[in-house]
Amino acid sequence: MLKGFTRKFKPLEILSEEELETIHRGALNILETTGVRVEHDRALKLFADNDCKVDFEGKRVRIPPWLVEESLRKCPSSYRVKARDPKCDLMIGGNTVYFMQGMGMKYLDLDTWEPRAATVKEHRDAMIIADALDNLHMADGIFFYMDRVGIPAPMVMLENLASGIRNSTKVEHFGYELGCEKFAIKMANELGIGLDVELDSAAPLTLFKDPVEAAFRYVEAGINIQPTSGAGMGADGPATFAAAVTLQDAELMAFITLAQLIRPGIGLSVQHGLGVTNMRTGNSRFGAVGESIAGAMTNQLFRRYRIPTVTTAGFTSDSKKIDFQCAYEKALGALISVISGGNLHVFHGGVHAELTWSPVQQVLDDDIAGWIGHLLEGVEVNDETLAIDLINEIGPIPGYYLNKEHTRKWWRKEQFIPRVADAEPYPLWMKEGKKDALALAKERVEEILATHKPKPLTAREEQIVEDVLKQAREYYKKEGLISDEEWTVYMKTLESAD
Amino acid sequence: MQAEIFENLQKAVIEYDVEAASSWARRAVEEKADPTKALDALTQAIRQVGDGFGRGELWLPDLVGAADAMQSAVPIIEEELRRTGAKRVLPGTVVAGTVFGDIHSIGKTMVCVLLTADGFDVIDLGINVRAEQFVEAVKKHRPDILAMSALLTVFASEQKKVIETLKKEGIRDEVKIMVGGGAISQEFSDRIGADGYDPTAPGAVKLARNLIGK
Repeated sequence: MLKGFTRKFKPLEILSEEELETIHRGALNILETTGVRVEHDRALKLFADNDCKVDFEGKRVRIPPWLVEESLRKCPSSYRVKARDPKCDLMIGGNTVYFMQGMGMKYLDLDTWEPRAATVKEHRDAMIIADALDNLHMADGIFFYMDRVGIPAPMVMLENLASGIRNSTKVEHFGYELGCEKFAIKMANELGIGLDVELDSAAPLTLFKDPVEAAFRYVEAGINIQPTSGAGMGADGPATFAAAVTLQDAELMAFITLAQLIRPGIGLSVQHGLGVTNMRTGNSRFGAVGESIAGAMTNQLFRRYRIPTVTTAGFTSDSKKIDFQCAYEKALGALISVISGGNLHVFHGGVHAELTWSPVQQVLDDDIAGWIGHLLEGVEVNDETLAIDLINEIGPIPGYYLNKEHTRKWWRKEQFIPRVADAEPYPLWMKEGKKDALALAKERVEEILATHKPKPLTAREEQIVEDVLKQAREYYKKEGLISDEEWTVYMKTLESAD
Repeated sequence: MQAEIFENLQKAVIEYDVEAASSWARRAVEEKADPTKALDALTQAIRQVGDGFGRGELWLPDLVGAADAMQSAVPIIEEELRRTGAKRVLPGTVVAGTVFGDIHSIGKTMVCVLLTADGFDVIDLGINVRAEQFVEAVKKHRPDILAMSALLTVFASEQKKVIETLKKEGIRDEVKIMVGGGAISQEFSDRIGADGYDPTAPGAVKLARNLIGK
């Protein structure tokens, strides 16, 4: 199992117990009074069979507070997700913190700083790098590079999942769209791996048909889910933090109630991502401090429920370039997310909004994750680390510590050494071509691709992946979701990629 | 009296007061104020708010708040206009929706609200709209503009499908097509043969006006 990082100190708390209780009660009130719109007949019936007031025509479900609280109690406080290599299994929850690949639909061209569709090779390279990075614990082959050259839309998520499974041994994050979950479940079951699956509720107070259908499929198959909510504050959610977090709590608790009614005890975490609305353009402000404030509030709230949280503040920035703004927005968002108690942070590779992604950013983010992780691990205070005897032995100048056994033993544990930060003295820096972190990260990308070889699939595993992809391709073609023209380009793309 | 009514209609829009706007609209009808002039007064007010937005003094919630106030008054006055046999001159009709597979709503809703406030007749098809539903709506409503949104790249190609279907049906040239959403770029818009793209909601209104030359 991957250890990840352990947060060894009390998390940052920005709400009082009384404020938490007020938010919780407010959310229960919303669920009982207004309820949620659920666009799924089977779910409506399931809620009705479990003492909820259901208006079948209006598709409205009002959930009694006792049922919500009982459902919260049924959620395990942690759960294990199986990877292809058992060494990469994850145990999500408690004080453990993991980092996951972030989102960005397109490849970011670092010469023009403009987005474009990604090739098969670029996705493969991104996953190989993910496999190699020390501080990246969960792969997310699907939510970056959703715009793929030559791959028709209905197959993108499954092709990305397959690319992830083939090129990385880490746990895969997944989703749902156009029923692709049927094939993902089949692939995971036959390979004997788990998935951690993001399913959206939509603000305000709506559970659409597709994510609910996917919830039935995944939860019945025993696959872990991440109910998600992420309104834009002042747009599809209220403008105040208190109200936005309360509304989000209601949406997440409705989804949790549904999941626990489908299969009591299913392991889940909640992914929260309240967004700050840019009131000039209507877009979300991904690098805003508000995301961190809402995230810290939600972490605190769900820690009270003993349910793990997936955080997104700083998973991407508002900057178009890998630059100062990108770095501070991402680093601060990630820092606040995990010191306030987040368990899994969506992070590596995302550059601008949910639009661009870069392997170079992924390598840079791994340093930020390592830096933050080192902080989380805290300090050890005992006789050996205190070293009073040593301090007395060395005494004042000319005494020093560089030649001591204690230093040799401890300095490496006490320091975090970033892989691509520039830490050279000036003369050396000038001599070696004045390289900055971006230049060093580009070099590391090349180095990893030249040297890292992920554990390959066995012939049987490869057959499973290819068989499921084949079934999915034929299904979507038959359904008319892949045109003849798209099919021809798709087949050529796959052939040339091989 | 008429001057007072027009002044209060404008004040209601500028102060985002939905109730006052509808109340003064009803008053305008009762007092037999000229409905064309009442609509002009409302239009001037929303332009004033739009100018404030343009100068960076007002923000999106102000723009949408004023649009809501205006929309609470317009149907009342329009009805009076119809009753008197006069006709409101609209810049155009827009059919709008978020494409199939995509359940993101807020961006499309903002564009619809702002287009409506600018005088357009907007038919909002909602979210998760299939290509055939867009085509059907174009045939039924004969709009000047078809506006399609997609947040996720996976679904952006759905917009292309709509355009291709319109071509097959021989009605592509009867409607201007604008696209938007997180997944869309000018390059994508050009590639799929749309007529226009803008990355922001307020920009979409200007684009709509430009597309139909008004």
